[in-house]
Amino acid sequence: MANGQTTECETLPDSARTATFVVIAAYNESTCIEQVVSEVRAEYPNVVVVDDGSTDGTFEAAKRSATHVLRHVINRGQGAALQTGIGFALSRGARVVVTFDADGQHRAEDIKAMIAPIWCGECEITLGSRFLGGTENIPASRRKMLRMAVLFTRIVNRVNVTDAHNGLRAFSDRAAREIDITLDRMAHATELIDQIRLSGLPFKEIPVQIRYTDYSLKKGQSSRNAIQIALHYLLGRVLR
Amino acid sequence: MNLFQTLALIAIAALFVLTLIAAVRGWATRRDALLWALLWLVAGVTIMWPGVTKVIANALGIGRGADLVLYCAVVVMMIGFLMVYVRLRRIRREMTLLVRELAIRDAISERKPPSDEAISHEATKEGHFDV
Ligand SMILES: Nc1nc2c(ncn2[C@@H]2O[C@H](COP(=O)(O)OP(=O)(O)OP(=O)(O)O)[C@@H](O)[C@H]2O)c(=O)[nH]1
Ligand SMILES: [Mg+2]
Repeated sequence: MANGQTTECETLPDSARTATFVVIAAYNESTCIEQVVSEVRAEYPNVVVVDDGSTDGTFEAAKRSATHVLRHVINRGQGAALQTGIGFALSRGARVVVTFDADGQHRAEDIKAMIAPIWCGECEITLGSRFLGGTENIPASRRKMLRMAVLFTRIVNRVNVTDAHNGLRAFSDRAAREIDITLDRMAHATELIDQIRLSGLPFKEIPVQIRYTDYSLKKGQSSRNAIQIALHYLLGRVLR
Repeated sequence: MNLFQTLALIAIAALFVLTLIAAVRGWATRRDALLWALLWLVAGVTIMWPGVTKVIANALGIGRGADLVLYCAVVVMMIGFLMVYVRLRRIRREMTLLVRELAIRDAISERKPPSDEAISHEATKEGHFDV
């Protein structure tokens, strides 16, 4: 699964870059959003930031740096913000939609490998995997928790992935249209895996690098959250 | 009738009338009004003739009438909580859809870089965003 890059995709044509919309959902990331956006924008002209009701200067920082800025007037959670960004990207004619974290954990240079298989028609969806790729400075507890989350996904969703909770993903426009995230908060990652399985759209995992910094760790998810997220997802499945 | 029964029955009668008014005026759905009316009716009957609960309880193999009332109250409350939770989820969902609609409607896109001849005027305006 990991060695997928076909040679014809080695160099992505400019048309692919301009037809790609990178969606960044941000909640109180004013200190790093500009940096993250400009790194992505150096390669991809269409960067969409969805400010999810931040109470710091995220909105202003996004306006200074991003191509398109959307604002949720009330915080609705990452799942909701991503769905907003994806819908917007499609309405502006995106052919490929990439989701990318705002906290500086992803590398902009990994986006190319995410898009290439989709652009070449090899698959409709790519999912970034830190366990096929690598991590920088990940705490042991965080690693353990993510492994458990993967196990959860394999058992409950019956989809064979190596990293179910990676914010770096890419969708063809067709796949993006089929996706409809309804779980507003972090449980959307598991919901997404369900929808991918149900849609039958071909997907592929791509090795990516995730870096953990003091900043991202302070803002990131805790183990207590994990249980909450799992409950949220299961309740969502029962009550629908 | 003792004092408690008198007061409780007056209160319940008032609530019953209120429920009827609500149904007629359309403040509550007909189904909700019916459920409430039924609840007041049951409450009224058990207050007026407390022996009734004991008869039913014994028939069900429960010792005391008050126990039956307690069990029923717990079940009704659980169902109530679940209904409120489901409604809360729906409201949250609707809120997200509303917030999304606003976000997309008010999206701000950077203006295309102005062509050479247009630069002089446009670029001096405050900011470079179109709403
Ligand atoms: N829209 C929105 N985005 C959020 C919210 N909370 C977090 N985010 C964004 O989601 C991204 C990832 O969030 P994290 O909390 O770091 O989750 P994670 O990366 O899966 O977990 P870690 O491995 O702990 O970093 C970041 O870009 C955040 O800005 C929220 O309430 N709304
Ligand atoms: Mg993170």
